[in-house]
Amino acid sequence: MIPTLPDETGTGADVAPVPAVELRGITKNFGAVTACDRVDLRLHRGRIHGILGENGAGKSTLMKILIGLVLPDDGTIHIDGELRHINDPITAAKLGVGMVHQHFSLVDALTVWENVALGDVGQLDHGAVRERIGEIGEHFGLVIDPEARVGELTAGLRQRVEIIKCLRRDPSIVIFDEPTSVLTPEESSQLFASLRDVVAVEDRAVVLVSHKLDEVLSATDEITIMRQGSVVDFRPTAEADAPTLAHSMVGRDVALRSERAAFGMIVEDQDGSAPAPAPIERAASPTLRIRNASASGSGGARLLDGLSLDVCPGEIVGLAGVEGNGQRVLGDLLSSLVQLSAGEVEVAGRVIATQRPGAMARAGIGVIPEDRHDSGVVLDMSVAENLVLVDPKGVARRGVIDSARLDALACDLIEQFDIQCEGPDAPLWSLSGGNQQRVVLARELWRHPKVLVAAQPTRGLDVGAIEYMTERLRAAAADDVAVLLISSELEEIMDLADRIAVIYRGRIVGEMTRAEADLHKISLLMGGAAA
Amino acid sequence: MSSLLDALWEIFTSNSTYEGAAVAAGLLLFAASGELIAERAGTINISVEGMLVGGAFTAAVGFDVTGSVVVALVTGALGGMIVAGVQAEMSHRLVADQFVVGLTLNILVVGLAAFLEREIDLETSRASKLVIPLLSDIPLIGTALFGQPWPFYLLYALVPVCWYLLYRTRWGLEVRASGEDPQSADVSGIDVNKRRRQSIYFAGLTSGLGGAYFVFVQIGRFEPTVSGRGFIAIAAVIFGGWTLRGTVAGCVLFAGAVSFRLSVQGFGYDVNSELLQALPFLVTIFGMAIFARRVRPPAALARPFIRGLK
Repeated sequence: MIPTLPDETGTGADVAPVPAVELRGITKNFGAVTACDRVDLRLHRGRIHGILGENGAGKSTLMKILIGLVLPDDGTIHIDGELRHINDPITAAKLGVGMVHQHFSLVDALTVWENVALGDVGQLDHGAVRERIGEIGEHFGLVIDPEARVGELTAGLRQRVEIIKCLRRDPSIVIFDEPTSVLTPEESSQLFASLRDVVAVEDRAVVLVSHKLDEVLSATDEITIMRQGSVVDFRPTAEADAPTLAHSMVGRDVALRSERAAFGMIVEDQDGSAPAPAPIERAASPTLRIRNASASGSGGARLLDGLSLDVCPGEIVGLAGVEGNGQRVLGDLLSSLVQLSAGEVEVAGRVIATQRPGAMARAGIGVIPEDRHDSGVVLDMSVAENLVLVDPKGVARRGVIDSARLDALACDLIEQFDIQCEGPDAPLWSLSGGNQQRVVLARELWRHPKVLVAAQPTRGLDVGAIEYMTERLRAAAADDVAVLLISSELEEIMDLADRIAVIYRGRIVGEMTRAEADLHKISLLMGGAAA
Repeated sequence: MSSLLDALWEIFTSNSTYEGAAVAAGLLLFAASGELIAERAGTINISVEGMLVGGAFTAAVGFDVTGSVVVALVTGALGGMIVAGVQAEMSHRLVADQFVVGLTLNILVVGLAAFLEREIDLETSRASKLVIPLLSDIPLIGTALFGQPWPFYLLYALVPVCWYLLYRTRWGLEVRASGEDPQSADVSGIDVNKRRRQSIYFAGLTSGLGGAYFVFVQIGRFEPTVSGRGFIAIAAVIFGGWTLRGTVAGCVLFAGAVSFRLSVQGFGYDVNSELLQALPFLVTIFGMAIFARRVRPPAALARPFIRGLK
């Protein structure tokens, strides 16, 4: 591993200033996994530094070390040239390091000003906090009502609160961790504009952590690329282009459409390699038909608000939308976890009772759930057991599981879906994320569903696994399964879907075929603009 | 029918009904105010029952030694905090299940107090009455609120202090954040388990005072049990939707039911005594059934927090 950082003391005409932050030889192991392997990194004031890498490349761990949430096993942190030990976020804040967290550090039940005050020390002063929120809002164009309850804000506004919370302590080093994952494209460009402001004002050092090539290319001054815990490349953004960055990130050439889509490179349909446009207006009636579905949460919040959606056999419908607009509830509805207060769900012309556990699965709906650890698999059970979890009837006789048949079925599926594991009896936690996802996929496809719901099916997977998943979804559609793809990665939807529906606040606000779709139109709809 | 109305009229116009309700509500309030803060930080602190008994015992010992009710209140608070210490350190430092610890602790403290009571003869008495002029002349509720033994008046300070702590201090903000979203609180730089431990110690303090109040105001002697009043205090917190105002209302309602029952018997009305005994608990259950659905508990209530655990 040769660090390719430029030599600061070299022959350059200017003597380079002391870096705002210098990480030397940072190493962190989680059990047998090396999350960071002797990482060196230098951040300079007045620059936006992009850290690019796939999921699991160690970007987030590195930043958590800098903010004091994770302690490194080895290596040193120097701030403005001085060796520092950062053991907790309060120490980091005192040293001027602040972070805008990917999944937010906000407490929903508290108001904006209370959240902004959280983590400070000293007397709690309502007036002073409010005033500061106003100042920051004016300064950076991040206006917000300090008395609003955070749980009631949209993702974009919540991020605004998160940024204000970070800037309130006037950090000299600001880290943005995957900041656009919950934003519409419009909100993202606004964010990058304010990012520039943050750098320009008072000469801060900014880090943008991302797995999306285009946003790193457009928003940063220099780029560090990480792969499997190590820094593999460093270059000024002016000298970088997408194909070389992608190559460094993955370690090989990236040519496939879906791979490019996975990195946020929008693939336009001019290269002729696009999938044949789906035959529009099929004779067949929709396999899955959701009509006026409404559901409320425990707090009375409307989760689904008159949602109607059809999916025909052999069609992939992509459901686009900013996270938290009802996608998860829709997935839960089709897993028989949510009861509708109004409306109905039909599968192949038959109305399915939403209140009965397992009714959707029996009707032929297979679901790849959004969070596989939460609701997809049981980590402590074996691969074979997980494969038949939804429907053990095929391997059971009068309610008793026939272990020989279970083993035979499991071996068959392991081979068919190329699941890398020690055998049918291996506990599921011993598999990698991509292989766990294959287990879920095998389980759902094995039962020959009429409808396949794939919720965020490629989240957290590496490129190879993404490629496999997209192929399988296409193959399912080719087998006349009605496929509903729920994804917050617009690129993934643009790549896979025949028809695109946009969800906003629990209802479908726009529908179009792939041919009609354009990014601008979709992002407006995602943000709630009227169609 | 008219005799029933007469009976109700007699009960509801009698000062003693209101006095009884105020005294009973006092104990519940001492326990529930601390319990509320512990629950807002994320602990269902069921050892409040044990804290009351522990506080009552150490208060009785304090009085037996010094003859001073002031000292008894201090030792009572300390006794409650000792029980709280076990709960807090076990469940939020060693991450033992909070219910297992609480249940065990309740049984342990009651058993230990009963044993020690037999071993040592504890001399106790009632605290002296402090009648506030003018205010105590208000009809019906005057003597109930302003003609009580003096430790009762501590409540007039305790409840506002709890409100101020919870809603106006940084500590209270951090306590609420710890009970709602410990992950986010941690990321913001708050020591979640420390706040949770502190809030349990606070519950121990108020419940310990409650134990002393039980001995020196409510019954005038030491008994090694509070007969489930700690659990009714927990019910009052839930009934009150985890707000201070609601908690106070819950304590008053449940105490009112107790006092009504005692008045019915006191005035010599012939009502099935088992049924009467059950009345406060029936009110508690109906109260919970009606109101508990509408409120939202702290999101991380009863969920242990381990750093780095997702």
